[in-house]
Amino acid sequence: MSAVALDTATTHAVPTQDLRELFVRWQTRGDHEAREQLVRRFMPLARSLARRYGRSSEPFEDLLQVASLGLLKALDRYDVERGHAFQSFAVPTILGEMRRYFRDSGWAVHVPRGAQERALKVRDAQERMANERGHAPTVNQLAEYLEFDVEEVIDALQAIQAYETVSLDAPRPGADDDAGSSYGDSIGGDDARYELVELDATVSSVLGHIPPRERMILKMRFVEDLTQTEIAERVGISQMQVSRLLRRSLDQLRALTRAPGAAR
Amino acid sequence: MADIPHVRLNLSNRPENVLLVRQTLSGLAETIELDPIELNDISTAVSEACNNVVLHAYEGAKGPLDVEVCAGSEGLEVVVRDHGGGIRPRLEPRDENAPGGIGLPVIHALSTRVEFLEPPGGGTEVRMVFATPAGADLGPAPEELELQAAVPDTEPEELADLMAITIGPGSVAHAVLPRVLCALAARAYFSTDRISDTQLLADALVAHAEGSIDTSRLNVGIRVAPRVLEMNVGPLRAGSAADGLGAVLETLGDGHEVSHAGASEILALHLAARR
Repeated sequence: MSAVALDTATTHAVPTQDLRELFVRWQTRGDHEAREQLVRRFMPLARSLARRYGRSSEPFEDLLQVASLGLLKALDRYDVERGHAFQSFAVPTILGEMRRYFRDSGWAVHVPRGAQERALKVRDAQERMANERGHAPTVNQLAEYLEFDVEEVIDALQAIQAYETVSLDAPRPGADDDAGSSYGDSIGGDDARYELVELDATVSSVLGHIPPRERMILKMRFVEDLTQTEIAERVGISQMQVSRLLRRSLDQLRALTRAPGAAR
Repeated sequence: MADIPHVRLNLSNRPENVLLVRQTLSGLAETIELDPIELNDISTAVSEACNNVVLHAYEGAKGPLDVEVCAGSEGLEVVVRDHGGGIRPRLEPRDENAPGGIGLPVIHALSTRVEFLEPPGGGTEVRMVFATPAGADLGPAPEELELQAAVPDTEPEELADLMAITIGPGSVAHAVLPRVLCALAARAYFSTDRISDTQLLADALVAHAEGSIDTSRLNVGIRVAPRVLEMNVGPLRAGSAADGLGAVLETLGDGHEVSHAGASEILALHLAARR
């Protein structure tokens, strides 16, 4: 029933007598025991807000600490006499505290630390599992293995796609660089064009604009029909990198075929 | 106006669909340049409104969860709609310790403005406005769209879920559709290989649709079930449905079909988990 669902009730509730007394004891007499009782009582609220507002970002313990700080501020500033529920006062105060924390820690301009670490863990686990099993894992398997929730894994996959940083593009430890480039060399420019004619007649005319390694990967996926994991193994990069390179070169191909005069 | 970012999701009230809404907002944030904190605010508030529909609107039964996001004159406007019981606010005081959601205070705290409406025909509509610097100059909301792709027509299975997505313009579709399909492919137990294939296919579809739809909105009907993802894309201009998509469809997809709907075409796509 929507009435319960929207929970309008809590925002209109007035503080019960004992709560009111606790606030008076803390705010007027500085009674720490009263404050402690209030903290215990409303900690679940802070915890719940930290979980909702801060999901997929910073480590939970850090956020909980910030939310608790917000709760303490709310306990100091709440005006019992105004007759509003503490909760409706505390929620914006706590959220405001977390928001400020995000601003101060440069969250608006950088990829959050937690998300970055998770992306790297997902990438590594994905590779390890693919190596062990011979095929790529599912998101559920990754989530279970890493003890992340499904959304965290999905966000990590998106992040890996999006990162243009050198760190993710750098050769993987143990990857055999020579194997990759020699394979690339062996297919050569004209050869690659010829083989990829099947991809699309217009596309083949602009393939020369795509770097050799990307051309090779396109060929492996679309002509030889290898899976991304198989390609990753042959080229000596991660499947995530294969995915990113494929996406980038297909984007490039599309842009090139659309550009005036591209199809010669 | 053609270029106003607009997404409509017609979903069911399954809990996992809230993730699709969040992914949509993340994609949208890229195109209208929301910063991560603004996105987090919006995403948290909208999730609360959606969770509310999932948990309470239908009292355990199935029902629609409709979400519409568009950039209005005041900023980003998000409407979450259900067809359930309607709002009947309980105004009597209640013990603060009673277990209860904090959804409403969260929505109030994070949105610039929120309205709770009871549309004719029942249900509840939560209309949230988020004033964002990015949203301010995006122009008025688009008029309601009539066209919508047919959702793949199969008998209902317990595990299958049906949904429809309307999305545009192309830049928004480009950022949102691959994300939504990634989440759906994950739900269908696709491997990360196939998930990434699915995203490549989504990219190609969006790029293709830009040249073959008459409006600036792309319509996709989706059926998701274990190990299967089916899509109906269209209506597309006659003769253009699969034109130029050849290799991408052949390699990344597991079958496609073009059907005619009046003067237009619908592209039906089948994707499987493979192994």
